[in-house]
Amino acid sequence: MNSPLKNLIESLIFVSQEPLTAERLRAVLEGVPAADIQAAADELIADYATDGRGIHIVRVGGGWLFSTKPAHDREVRRLLQIERKNRLSSAGLETLAAIAYRQPVTQSEVSAIRGVDSTGALKTLLEKKLIKIVGRKKAPGSPLVYRTSDAFLLYLGLNSLDELPSEEEIAKILEEEKAVDA
Amino acid sequence: MPETAAETLPIEESPVPSPSAESPEGYQVRLEIFEGPLDLLLFLIRKKKIDIHDIPIAAITRDYLDYLDRKTEINLDREAEFLFIAALLIYIKSQMLLPRETDLAEHEDPRQGLVNRLLEYEKVKAACSLLREREDGQIVQWKRDFIPPLHGENELEPVELSLFDLAESFFLMMKRRSADDTRTIRGRDVSIEVKMKELVGLLQERHMIDFLEYFEAHASLEEALVSFFCILELVKSRVAVAVQDELFQTIRVWLRKDARRTGAHE
Repeated sequence: MNSPLKNLIESLIFVSQEPLTAERLRAVLEGVPAADIQAAADELIADYATDGRGIHIVRVGGGWLFSTKPAHDREVRRLLQIERKNRLSSAGLETLAAIAYRQPVTQSEVSAIRGVDSTGALKTLLEKKLIKIVGRKKAPGSPLVYRTSDAFLLYLGLNSLDELPSEEEIAKILEEEKAVDA
Repeated sequence: MPETAAETLPIEESPVPSPSAESPEGYQVRLEIFEGPLDLLLFLIRKKKIDIHDIPIAAITRDYLDYLDRKTEINLDREAEFLFIAALLIYIKSQMLLPRETDLAEHEDPRQGLVNRLLEYEKVKAACSLLREREDGQIVQWKRDFIPPLHGENELEPVELSLFDLAESFFLMMKRRSADDTRTIRGRDVSIEVKMKELVGLLQERHMIDFLEYFEAHASLEEALVSFFCILELVKSRVAVAVQDELFQTIRVWLRKDARRTGAHE
């Protein structure tokens, strides 16, 4: 059950503050066959999932990270002296959703989708590093073009943009909402 | 942030001005709040169980304007956005009333643009509720990318009081300055002769003095000036030599060898 490679990978994931990807792991563990690395990593993740520990390894942003379990949230926040859950405001989330699904987008495109000026919300999202500027659009005024960042994936626990809720899931939600109204 | 303004627009007089508005439960009370004009339109359409592809523009415009009338809080930024959509609704209605020369089938429904926007916005809203679920699931799982605050609560206080700190420092500085002034008025006598002896003594003792260091140690401007004259005099009479290695670097002063041997300047 215990292998040196598995222990090594455990250490590497432990010190990582950003998702440790398989490529990065292979680069660090020069000469170790990729299949062995994958097998050891899989085993390690399974260990954490079954051993009844306080932390687990999550796959997020295309890599692995240690994470506390949701049940410990209250005490963790008490330790870190964070009183409230810091959720995005509804305006912030709406802006983020518009960008996530329509990227790359400009400020005016986001504002048009929402019907509300979104300059302030964009600024906040930039400060939170959930979105990034990727360039300027070749259009009058050369407006800035925005995309979601890697931190965005991490924030929502996604591995890639492909994992965003799909059109079908959204349609399903809309159906449900209409059913409730009716 | 301007967005917060929209959150404070109640559709009706808000039920209870809850003091717990900041608690997570407090947000529940404020559910009937619209992110913007499209949000409000969608709400009205749903409330009246209207088919989004066949909106009775006149009726919905009336409801929409009713809402704007009832709204007690006025925020000019948001108001403009709400009014813009009101104007758009009226424009669409006018387009529909105008007799057309071409056949309707060929002509696009004047409502189509707005309907497309509403449908897109509806999707974004639905996506929001899914993303919110994800967010709620994620923010309770702490990862090491979170850097905990290094300071305890007590240490954070000065930051909050920085304005007072600033004012305090300023008044302290003013006080010190006025103290300086009084001293100058009192006019403590510093004679060139006395200072010259002091300086030469210092140079003999240390062989070298750092120009900047030496002047920073002076209490008053007057004393510093006298010392400066002394150094100029010593350099002029070739008793001391002043050296600066590089531009803007400190100037070092030392006694010439012959002067050092003969002792003090006469």
